[in-house]
Amino acid sequence: MTAPLLAPLLEARALTMRFGGVTALDALDLVVHEHEILGLLGPNGSGKTTFFNVVTGLYAASGGQVLLDGAEITRHSPQAVYRAGVTRTFQRSRLSLPLTVFDNVAIGQTQHMNPGLVFNLLQRRALRRQVDETIEQVHALLQTFSAGMAAKLWQPAGTLSMIDRRRVEVCRALVSNPRLVLLDEPSAGMTHDETRELMDDILLVRSRLSPFTIVIIEHEMGVIQRITQRCAVLNYGKKIAEGSFDDITRDPEVQLAYLGQDVAEGAQA
Amino acid sequence: MATAFAYLWALLHAESQWAVGGLLLLAVLVMFGLRRLRWGEPLGATASASPRVLGVGCALGVLALAAAFHNVHFALLLVCTVLLYAVVCLGLNIQFGYAGVVNFAGAAFFGVGSYTAATLATHTALPHALVLLAGGAVAAAIGSLLIWPVLRTRGHYAALVTIAFGILFKSFLEVNDTLGGPQGLRIPGLNLFGWKLGDGFELAGIEISFYANYVLLSLVLCLAAFVFVRRIERSWIGLAMDMIRTDEVAAAVFGVGIARWKVLAFTFGNFLAGLAGAVYGMMTGYVAPNNFTFADSLILVSILILGGIGNPWGILPAATIVLILPEKFQFIQEYRFLLYALLVIFILLFRPDGLLPRTVRDYFPGRAPKDAA
Amino acid sequence: MGLDILSQYVVNTLMLGMIYAMVAVGFTLFFGVLDVIQFSHGDVLMLGGFTALASYLGASAAGIANPWLLLAIMLLASTAVTAALGAFVARFLVLPLKNAPPLNTLLVTLMFGLAVREAVRLFYPNGSNPKPFPRLLPDTSFTLGTLALRADSLMLLAAGLVVVVGVHLLITRTKLGLAIRAVAQDGETARVMGIDFQRVVLLTFGLGSALAAMAGVMNGLYYNEINFGLGLLLGVIGFSAAILGGLGNFLGAILGGFLFAALQTFGAVVLPMVAPAITSAYKDVFAFTMVILLMAWKPTGLIAERSSERV
Repeated sequence: MTAPLLAPLLEARALTMRFGGVTALDALDLVVHEHEILGLLGPNGSGKTTFFNVVTGLYAASGGQVLLDGAEITRHSPQAVYRAGVTRTFQRSRLSLPLTVFDNVAIGQTQHMNPGLVFNLLQRRALRRQVDETIEQVHALLQTFSAGMAAKLWQPAGTLSMIDRRRVEVCRALVSNPRLVLLDEPSAGMTHDETRELMDDILLVRSRLSPFTIVIIEHEMGVIQRITQRCAVLNYGKKIAEGSFDDITRDPEVQLAYLGQDVAEGAQA
Repeated sequence: MATAFAYLWALLHAESQWAVGGLLLLAVLVMFGLRRLRWGEPLGATASASPRVLGVGCALGVLALAAAFHNVHFALLLVCTVLLYAVVCLGLNIQFGYAGVVNFAGAAFFGVGSYTAATLATHTALPHALVLLAGGAVAAAIGSLLIWPVLRTRGHYAALVTIAFGILFKSFLEVNDTLGGPQGLRIPGLNLFGWKLGDGFELAGIEISFYANYVLLSLVLCLAAFVFVRRIERSWIGLAMDMIRTDEVAAAVFGVGIARWKVLAFTFGNFLAGLAGAVYGMMTGYVAPNNFTFADSLILVSILILGGIGNPWGILPAATIVLILPEKFQFIQEYRFLLYALLVIFILLFRPDGLLPRTVRDYFPGRAPKDAA
Repeated sequence: MGLDILSQYVVNTLMLGMIYAMVAVGFTLFFGVLDVIQFSHGDVLMLGGFTALASYLGASAAGIANPWLLLAIMLLASTAVTAALGAFVARFLVLPLKNAPPLNTLLVTLMFGLAVREAVRLFYPNGSNPKPFPRLLPDTSFTLGTLALRADSLMLLAAGLVVVVGVHLLITRTKLGLAIRAVAQDGETARVMGIDFQRVVLLTFGLGSALAAMAGVMNGLYYNEINFGLGLLLGVIGFSAAILGGLGNFLGAILGGFLFAALQTFGAVVLPMVAPAITSAYKDVFAFTMVILLMAWKPTGLIAERSSERV
């Protein structure tokens, strides 16, 4: 039940990232196709989050290229990558706790905010219109995930539970109607049910807006199995396997990477 | 509100230290009582719901004070000083409280404004309105020079640069004879479009001190700065700055231009400081390096913290406390730096939110936000 | 320029560099263990100097005249007081604010420095005026060919060297040093491994502050003067030096200290030759401008700062 793969949206070509003596990404080749949901797997330290950081411009790649829609974004600043339509969540929750829930989600919409001094300081009526529009958008998005959360729109994000905070982060990544969403372990800290609910909500939003591309780093295999169409497995910064979830779980090299030499050999024997 | 200003009148009027002590005690008791009886809450609620009313009320209160002391030079001078220092602190508020850019050279930028006013007013025929603006502009320009190297670094580097500037400013001026050296420079009185602020006047037969003119001007400036700061906060600009202060990485990843807003915040803040400095210089008639020490910069920061960092409403009460009390309690005048340092330490350890903690952003207050709980 | 004047400049620069290096090492130690900038460090140094002076006055009033004994008493008193103060700052000001925004820690130490400065100015008899510091080191000079070297400068230099090397050995060879390095690298893990986090932090702050006292005494002996505002400039210079060398880097701090001294001397000596309008009084301005430019070029210091930001 594989749908035909569309054109490549995100491409990493021989992407390398070195920190002092450590090579986090080792000439990585990876293609993410338009509208697909790709799972990015691999043991801890295999370079998954580093990949996200390089793509989003937080780290400057030591070598290789990153292409978005065929255009090179390797040396782009994080702001430029965002403007190209790429958003993300973080492994460690990165919300501004003293700011309201609205503020935290609205910041995902900077693309549509007029940052001009004259606009913000003098054209207050126009600003009010823009603020109202954003309030509607944010509120509607939050509603999809949790009505209780939407009701807390004007409360500091610090008053939310951990799960709600994760949801807010996801909303922040989705509110700008991006082309590519990078999810970094969205299920961390959640129960299986909460995770399932979160994923369903993300897919619901995706079906209502345009079907944005997702690359998701996850350790919870149930999630990967359920929602991804393809998977790529990293180890020591290199891609060691690619294919459907079933394909990669059967791959001996993947087993080796996750389970270690002895177990893999035992499995083969 | 009226009681607050009546209290201030009494405070300014009080001559003996015992009277002042008594008034202070009264204030503390009242605050305590308010908190106990929870009368403060409805007060606070109306305040945030209708900031315009509160603002107008404060302005009227200041005018009433000025009228009450219409011929007492010193009291009016104090009021002016409070208002002008409040302008500087409003600028610092944008830097510290919104964008998270530290600035320990607030007094130095204030001084830059004064010195600019001194040089331009004495040596050029530039209209004084422009001189004032130039005071702000020069301070902003020097600030931009300072901030550019530290944009890529963390908070403590900006601290170092501004502390170094704050210290060196004074020594630079003392060594430099073209700017008057340790004696400083004289500054002509302010003359705005024909209105000679340096002259006292008569209204319906009552003699009014010339400082009243400056009170009016300072009040206008303070109000303008206040509206400016509030509008910044309640806009996309404020959101961007707050995001930068709390999490730069997340801000960058969602398109917020870090350098742009930091520079802007720093520039705005220093412009306000320079502007206030120019007015202050022309009001007092002279400027000398001794008024702009590092300790003075720390006093400005103390006002900001005492009032509640990030909350512009807290600045005026805090400035009043910090500036008026030592004048009234002459015996603490000598010790004021020590006392304020200890006060700030105490606040930072036990009540870091200050007198008026910052509230969440309400873009258009007074109007029910959609779908509030 | 004659060789003798040159040698004087060199010795002076080395002297200053040594003092700055000792202050910078303190900053680097504090930053290393707690990721904080302890802005009151310079003022603690000043307090150390005044304590030494006070103990000198007390000891001589009690009849002690032997200069070495006096020196010993002064050193003992000043290091004890500053070490205690350093530990106090760590325990009651810095540690409680561990989870507050870093701005608060910055502010609290800055304000504490102001408090110490003002306290000395107000409460030490005639505190606002500079005080003469006793001449305890021998007054002799050596002649090496045409060079005249003061014995006291050489002694101070040697003493400084011994102290710095001593601290280095302490950090690299002893168990305490190992604990300090462990906490500096990863406080959480160090705690899990059984290291008493709070004790190590207090000891580190105490150590850094004791170093400051020694620097203060050295400063006093060299210039034969001490004043209450001493700490502010020295603190800022020490901080810049630590940054130049890369915050958290012990050797970098020492390097930074000497580099700053060199910049100051360069500014005082070379600039007036190039542009006569710029007098030597601008040496501080020049040195700081260079530091700021260097920071713009290499924001994390000439040797990289230890970064603890995980994305």
